[in-house]
Amino acid sequence: MTTSTSRVPASPDPEEEELETEIASIRAEIQNLQKHKRFLTSSLLATDPIQKLLRKQPQPPTTTDPTDPLTTISPIVHSAGAHTSSNHHRIAFGATAFPFKDPSPTAGSATLLGVRIDVCARNGRFAKPYYIILQHEHNRAVSGSAKMLKVYRHTVPGFISIAKLESVYLPRPGVTRENGNGHRGSSSGEDEDAEPAKPWKKSGSSARKQDLRGFVRELRRELVAWHMRVDAVEFLREKLGLVGEGGGSLPFDVSPDRDTGIVSLAAVAVEARYVRVEWVDGRVGRFKLSNAGIVERAVVIGDEGRDKKVEDAMTGGGGRVETILDRLRVDVLSRSPGL
Amino acid sequence: MARPQTVRAPTAASLPNNLRVPSSTPSLTKSLGKLSRQALLDLALTWLDDRNIASFPPYLQTDGEDGPDDDQALPYPAGKTIEEVRQVYEDLQDRKGAKREVLERILEGDWRHGITLRQLAMADLRYMDDHPASLRWTALELSRIDTKRKNSKSPPPTDWSGSVPRMQAATFVQSLQREISPLVKAHYHLAHSATLPLTFLRIFVVDSPYQSPRRAAEIFTDSSRVIYVAFPDSCPYVYTSIAASTGPKSAPSTSSLATDTRTLQRLVRDSIPKALSRPQERFSLQATSLAAKNLPTLLALRGPGRSTASTGAFSIFADAAIEGSPLDPRPSNTVSPEEHIRASHSSPTEGKENTNGSVNKRRSSAIDTAPLSPDSKKRRLAIHSRFGTLGSSLAPAPLDRLDIRLLDKPGSSDGQYDDDDDSMSTLPAISLTFTGSDVIGGIRKLAELGIVDPERMPSWMTGEEGVSVATVRLGERLRTDT
Repeated sequence: MTTSTSRVPASPDPEEEELETEIASIRAEIQNLQKHKRFLTSSLLATDPIQKLLRKQPQPPTTTDPTDPLTTISPIVHSAGAHTSSNHHRIAFGATAFPFKDPSPTAGSATLLGVRIDVCARNGRFAKPYYIILQHEHNRAVSGSAKMLKVYRHTVPGFISIAKLESVYLPRPGVTRENGNGHRGSSSGEDEDAEPAKPWKKSGSSARKQDLRGFVRELRRELVAWHMRVDAVEFLREKLGLVGEGGGSLPFDVSPDRDTGIVSLAAVAVEARYVRVEWVDGRVGRFKLSNAGIVERAVVIGDEGRDKKVEDAMTGGGGRVETILDRLRVDVLSRSPGL
Repeated sequence: MARPQTVRAPTAASLPNNLRVPSSTPSLTKSLGKLSRQALLDLALTWLDDRNIASFPPYLQTDGEDGPDDDQALPYPAGKTIEEVRQVYEDLQDRKGAKREVLERILEGDWRHGITLRQLAMADLRYMDDHPASLRWTALELSRIDTKRKNSKSPPPTDWSGSVPRMQAATFVQSLQREISPLVKAHYHLAHSATLPLTFLRIFVVDSPYQSPRRAAEIFTDSSRVIYVAFPDSCPYVYTSIAASTGPKSAPSTSSLATDTRTLQRLVRDSIPKALSRPQERFSLQATSLAAKNLPTLLALRGPGRSTASTGAFSIFADAAIEGSPLDPRPSNTVSPEEHIRASHSSPTEGKENTNGSVNKRRSSAIDTAPLSPDSKKRRLAIHSRFGTLGSSLAPAPLDRLDIRLLDKPGSSDGQYDDDDDSMSTLPAISLTFTGSDVIGGIRKLAELGIVDPERMPSWMTGEEGVSVATVRLGERLRTDT
């Protein structure tokens, strides 16, 4: 690493030290500039006019001439063009597929199918892409039917149950019967009425087709919803002034928000499904966010039991989480009973 | 402050938070002495915090008035007000000094009337935060038991959340208490870790039915009676740990019970899923064949993050080390993995828990750019493709122990295998045990040195399975034994 300069052990000379730090800072700057330059060159190469210009260029006459600058740069330009178009796909569709070869010697020769999901966050940046690596299963002789896919590896956070999604969208004969039970249908407690039709349904489900599109669509929706929830909480925190300049939370105790009297607002866990709110007068509340960004349920408890008025204000008025602070303003709340 | 102990009736209640262990107990000095000076000061200031002062009142002059008047004999005069006591610790914080000084001040000065069980628990958890590798943890998976088989064609499309039980701390402890109180008496302490995305539950068990056991105070610091359960945030896993031999060897006096602690531990572990369960929503714990000393390792391999289901060769995906964000104009093969990992920070989880810690280490991984021979270059590429970012300094998830049982016949080549023989034949199964500070990292080093062939080694050597115990046949891990 160029930035880590070798420091002279216990050099008492202040001048020397000064020079050292100067060198280090210059090196860092050089690195930054180099990075910037690479950014600019690749952006330039990927621009439309240049790409078009090169496409127009007739290939055969130039290839013979090694000194022609166009021949030497054309692979770079091509790779830049390919990269740009794949980036466009990633931005536009959010889910792209790619082949992946397991390097393990025991893995067999079949390539794995990778799916990359890109989610755009609130700050205009993209989160780390999520990957699902699917494996073709062909160990059992299913009368030469279509290839069965199975999730092999993935990078989806733990609170989204890949097993549940898989059992619904990528059912495999045999598996649904045996161990799919642990996850299957566990998501619902409301379809008891389906029980009489069970035997019929069972035979139907084993013949169900795998639906990779549905799988990816549903998974992406869930991931996007999670990011939106996290962003919404972050947005509320910013509005309340609970977030410091650097993005981290402030180290000292924050004075309560003037309009709402809220001292703290934070997601309960990584999943950001529940948000905990604290007021300056000791009331504590919690609300649940739906995937669509609606406050589904809210509970506020103070010293005198539940505060129904605030709860109603949280869930009422369309229930959008972004406007929850406006609904919780003290003057709005105090006015509402008169209306 | 000793409570009258004339009436002792067995109860089913838990041990109270404010049960005081006499400060003169020698083992108390030891168990608090594990902590650093800074940690002790932090703890003392936490105890003196306005919110906690009611739970951990220090010994003040007013307390001594009705008692025997021996204050002059003690080296630390009792403070007059809480503010004064607080000032003492703030002063101690400002100047340098020995740990001893703080420890004595706590035990002989301000908490001379005893350290409560809750204070002990807080001290232990603080120690755990400072030393995440001090215990051996086992990862267990929580899974839902469904009594009814439902094969509905259209499950509600909104609920794909994993089987993470919604846990409310107080309720959970209460139902856990209900489960185990007939069997053991326990003290519970639940706290969120300051450094890791974990909630710790510290359970201290005694096998006496009495509220204030008449045993020696030593047992309260006996670390073999402490069980830790950690709940990582937002994922269906639970880590448990027996505090093995980290503390002082204070067990000999209770030799008859020494064997019992294992049973107590099992009892507690069995009751955790029951305590988490609710009507219509029952959970069970399943082994995941992973045990490691390091909590960050467990979090990486069985945690809420990205790397849980993609390790080894697939860790490049978990770390997003091969491709950048879609807004990056540079072709991905021209950017180094380090830069990729550093660039994509905006994931809500990773920014906090995973990357921050490791990025700093990543920088220190000096990639020597010395000219390479084609051979070693090829090897390096192979190593990269096999191990991904795992085992290098890029993704620190050190396993301290890896047990592998090989079921292959010695000498049999890969292609031919006859399953029928295996079950009954008396083949010697080969067991391999790797121990060290970082097993997978070590294998990677061996591969880098050319001792292990990176292209032909089986995938369990790359840490791809993310387990610490595995049975292997033909290079594939058998899942049935888990």
